[in-house]
Amino acid sequence: MDSVTLLPSRLSAPILFADRQDTRNALDAFFRDFGFTTRADLERLASWVLSARGAGVSPDVALALARERVEAWLGELLGPSHASGKLLSRGRAAFVLVDAARLGADVLLREPRHLPEAWRRTFRDAVPVPVPHAAPSVMPEQVLVLNPLAELLRRWLRLGQPGVSTSP
Amino acid sequence: MQAHSFSPGSAGLRRAWVLGLAGASTLAAAVEMSRLLSAGGTTAPEWVVLALFTPCFAWISLSFWAAVAGFVQLASGRRVPGLRWPDAEREAAPLQSRTAVVMPIHNEDPAAVFAHVQATYESIEATGHLDAFDFYVLSDSTRAEAWVAEELAWSELCRRVGGQGRIFYRRRTDNTGKKAGNLTEFCERWGRRHDFLFVLDADSLMDGATVVRMARLMELNPGAGILQAPPLCVGRSTLFARLQQFAGRVYGPVVAAGAAAWQLGESNYWGHNAILRMSAFIEHCGLPVLPGQQPFGGHILSHDFVEAALMRRAGYTVWLLADMGGSYEQPPPNLLTYAQRDRRWCQGNLQHLSLVLAGGLHPMSRAHFLMGVMSYVASPLWLLFLVAGLVSAAHAWLTQPSRFGGVDAVLASGATFDSPAALRLMAVSLAMLWLPRLLGVARVFARSDVAANMGGRARLVLSVLIEGVLSTLLAPVMMLFQSHFVFGTILGYRVSWSSQQRDDADLPWAEAARRHAVHTAVGVGLAVLLWVFSPGLLAWAVPVVAGLLLSIPLSVFTARASLGLWAERHGLFLIPEEVAPPAVLARAQVLTEDGAATVEDAVDHVLSDARAHTLHLALLEEQPSSSGVAGALASGRRKLLASVPEPLSAQEKVAVLLDARTLAEARGRRLGQPS
Repeated sequence: MDSVTLLPSRLSAPILFADRQDTRNALDAFFRDFGFTTRADLERLASWVLSARGAGVSPDVALALARERVEAWLGELLGPSHASGKLLSRGRAAFVLVDAARLGADVLLREPRHLPEAWRRTFRDAVPVPVPHAAPSVMPEQVLVLNPLAELLRRWLRLGQPGVSTSP
Repeated sequence: MQAHSFSPGSAGLRRAWVLGLAGASTLAAAVEMSRLLSAGGTTAPEWVVLALFTPCFAWISLSFWAAVAGFVQLASGRRVPGLRWPDAEREAAPLQSRTAVVMPIHNEDPAAVFAHVQATYESIEATGHLDAFDFYVLSDSTRAEAWVAEELAWSELCRRVGGQGRIFYRRRTDNTGKKAGNLTEFCERWGRRHDFLFVLDADSLMDGATVVRMARLMELNPGAGILQAPPLCVGRSTLFARLQQFAGRVYGPVVAAGAAAWQLGESNYWGHNAILRMSAFIEHCGLPVLPGQQPFGGHILSHDFVEAALMRRAGYTVWLLADMGGSYEQPPPNLLTYAQRDRRWCQGNLQHLSLVLAGGLHPMSRAHFLMGVMSYVASPLWLLFLVAGLVSAAHAWLTQPSRFGGVDAVLASGATFDSPAALRLMAVSLAMLWLPRLLGVARVFARSDVAANMGGRARLVLSVLIEGVLSTLLAPVMMLFQSHFVFGTILGYRVSWSSQQRDDADLPWAEAARRHAVHTAVGVGLAVLLWVFSPGLLAWAVPVVAGLLLSIPLSVFTARASLGLWAERHGLFLIPEEVAPPAVLARAQVLTEDGAATVEDAVDHVLSDARAHTLHLALLEEQPSSSGVAGALASGRRKLLASVPEPLSAQEKVAVLLDARTLAEARGRRLGQPS
């Protein structure tokens, strides 16, 4: 990843500061989890999120917008195979694992298709896929008659409990 | 897929030979023992001696004749009949099936676990058949530190080999059914995605060519339910472990070939380093829960034998591929960890007693249950045999008019006791114990390249002699351990299934003294008793008495890696896998030494390390909710989010790690962000 550099984005959003401190804090916390730490990056990312709604939004709305923005970005980068409710958490993990924040806010502000192909491949390879899609089936518990002779005798005399394996 | 109950036509004949010779030998020995004991009229203690001697002798006799069968099979240079093997053209063709390579783990060292997974993965990749395999690490780890370290090691492994989407990691929050339950849960969620299931243990290592070959054999033999590749013990440095590795390398092939030669398609499954037919396993091998309480009831502990029996009951065959190679595991590093493992296995095997008569099982499956039981019950039987012999001698001494001459006089008296015949019987018994070893040595001697890789013929002989002496000295200690386990199981002690120590740490003297104090005391008592009754008998019992008296230093010194490595430098107990390690072993060793990220405090690590934090949260979405730990979560949250955080208990750590909201909140606070 060291060799990857990004030219300043032509798609950068205009600087639009969140006018509410709580909204700003929420967005900063959100993007800090992606590894962004510099004031400039956090401001640009907040503006990117809020550019569609303008000022005065509540923290919850701002966070929902941020998630939407980032998920859209991740969805375009990773393709439909990763489209699920886990896109954000997996994408964020990949983002941190490849240390994408080192490239600055530009990495998120760009259309993913404009990012270098090698970087996109590295990112895709880093997305954690802990398990594949399930193919559910049932493994039926086998029944064993532990002592067939005693079982015959028990049935004949109609005594006691059956000597078979049972679920608790 | 149609199951069938194919067994080669020669199966009956082979079994008749082995079992017949074992039975005939036992009968002859029992008759001879009876004659010896009845020289002066058989007393009650002598009847007990005879009753104990017979099953003990039958056990060593069966082992002996099976080893002879193995030697003959190996000497013939042929494979056992019954399986269809691929020709060269078929070997080169792509696999048509998909195999899940699964490794269930439980609080293991993640560095070693993932090093072995990576080495196996790369080895399969080198065969060009990687596309036919998926890998699953199935964690049942309960320690928070192990859990987080596993996540990081898995992520790092995927990064190194580009394994996302092919190497999977799943942790269960509910450990129902332990290892067997772990596999069941896997099969029920992902089993249908695969044709075959390749089961590894936490210390298993497989050569890729072997894995591919076993998958191909499953494709070619649709009636085969399980193929077991006998694992070779490798990779440890302590003297105890190297003794086991050496013994396994020299004698193991004969023993394995013997089992394969007479058991054929009704062989056994050892729980790992084996491939199973997934559909048959899912449909026919769901383990029953036995009626009653532990130790004999409840969940089945040693699942492998039962799964093999169920597979066979369903009409699928189970094969031991004695000559497969490329299958490895690590031995326990010292006597105490060996005994700890034996304790688990002992209870598991004794539990099988209740299945011996179960309806519908193949007779060989019943035999496997009985052999498993006998491998542990033999110890208390030998112990009782020794005690009964002692009582019998004392009884004779007390009831003979010539008792002032001592037991020696009684035993040496030609009128009442046939000493030469007794010596002959003892010699035959010892020969049955030692001859399989000599057959193994003979095989190594026959191949100069193998002998050269074991230090040369002279050092090989020296190694065999020293190994023989040490194993003889350790045998009475294991006899007492196993007797304890058997009696403990019968009396209802439960076994905890903790993970075993797998590193080469030295054994402290205090720990050895605590564990072997009883053994030493028994040795002292036995020596005193024999000295009082008959110093002559003491000489015969020297191996037993010496082993017990020396149990503490033996345990400590054999646990030392420094001694094991010293022996290696001097060409003792060498195995070819140490001298010229196969690529997969060498790779695993390098990867293990590289190590994995250490996690001192799981919660702290997840909160302070961005990588661990985001990865953990991403993986947490695959975990079921933490409803079962509400109390621990509440107290964990309180401690964690307090202005001055308090240390969390193990349970609180797990509860907190299962709760994404708490983790996010705590991390926010740690970074100085408002929540």
